[in-house]
Amino acid sequence: MDDRRRRFEAQALPHLDAAYNLARWLSRSPTDADDIVQDAMLRAFRAFDGFRGGDAKAWLLTIVRNCWLTAGKATRRRGHTPLEDQELVAEGDPEGAAIQQGTRRRLDALVAGLPEEFREVLILREMEDMSYREIAEITGNPIGTVMSRLARARALLRETARDCL
Amino acid sequence: MNCEQSLNTQSYLDGELQGGDASAAEKHLESCADCQAQAAATADLSDALRNVPRYRTPDMLRHRLTKQLDRESRPSSAKSFWIGAASGGGLSALAAGFALFLLLPPSAATLSGSLADAHAAALTGGKTIMVASSNHHTVKPWLAAHAGISPPVSDFAEQGFVLTGGRTDEVAGTRAAVAVYAHGNHEMDLFAWPDRGAPMPQAGMARGFRMAFWKAGDLNYAAVSDVDAAAFQKFVSLAKAQRE
Repeated sequence: MDDRRRRFEAQALPHLDAAYNLARWLSRSPTDADDIVQDAMLRAFRAFDGFRGGDAKAWLLTIVRNCWLTAGKATRRRGHTPLEDQELVAEGDPEGAAIQQGTRRRLDALVAGLPEEFREVLILREMEDMSYREIAEITGNPIGTVMSRLARARALLRETARDCL
Repeated sequence: MNCEQSLNTQSYLDGELQGGDASAAEKHLESCADCQAQAAATADLSDALRNVPRYRTPDMLRHRLTKQLDRESRPSSAKSFWIGAASGGGLSALAAGFALFLLLPPSAATLSGSLADAHAAALTGGKTIMVASSNHHTVKPWLAAHAGISPPVSDFAEQGFVLTGGRTDEVAGTRAAVAVYAHGNHEMDLFAWPDRGAPMPQAGMARGFRMAFWKAGDLNYAAVSDVDAAAFQKFVSLAKAQRE
């Protein structure tokens, strides 16, 4: 295995699940998420020589988001595709899984209702634990914009979630 | 949410402020009802979002990616890596070996070595616990959110094994949920990770730690500790018997 492949597997591949999770929440479709992640990983691998250390996760998620934007124009017009539960974890725990499925469905619908620019900052912050600086880097926005969008996203979600969280 | 400091309060709650900025925000929060309401609401929302399990890469996609990277790594070779692997030819077989390593379940020896390493690294690094709690209602959802699996978590304090918290760890390249227990001065780690069909090693010692392995449902489990044999056996029986 060549050196680039080895470094890629050590530095970028550990963030594959983060890439998939982001693609899945952004695209809201398992098929689109597959395509986006496959495209993103290929581009990341080809561009990996240009990656000089730093935060591999933020770097990879930036590429995922770009692939989603490029792929998105057509697919997003199809509108909302309900999320499926086939990859829901905790299969050995029927009761817990049922609760998680219920919560996921409700949250999914609520998060789906958010405009894209709010949805992405919320997912990056709350699910991927990215800092404001990293979110700014990934979304190509100033930190001030990230802060105000995050506040707006939370306020919107709180308003709609009042009854079901 | 009309306080003009609300964005600053948010930054503080998100852990973005340090030093004097953080103390100033904390002080403001103590006296501002608007920001206190914001803090409480944000915490609830944040908990709810963090408790939603993250999506995991489907195995099919992982498999496709590996093949795609193989093609990219050796663009001049027309042979698929399966043929390369079958022919046993030098470099391509080596490359195929690495590729297969990502797809196939780890061997029994890899597993016990990897677990002993993880346990020892956590002990020596002082990082055995990422979420400290003796309450299984706290540890279980934390593990579900951070490890992507939700093994049963019970406190066995009455039997001498006190739940002290949990962490995520790596077992032979797979993310594992670890429930951490204390028995006197000894620590017990209870690892759980998704079953990939790997054979479970025999119980025994590895690098000075006692180990036991089992499968239940869709998860593989391992208990790792340096306690004496009797206590270890008791812990394993309790762990195997626990239900949701």
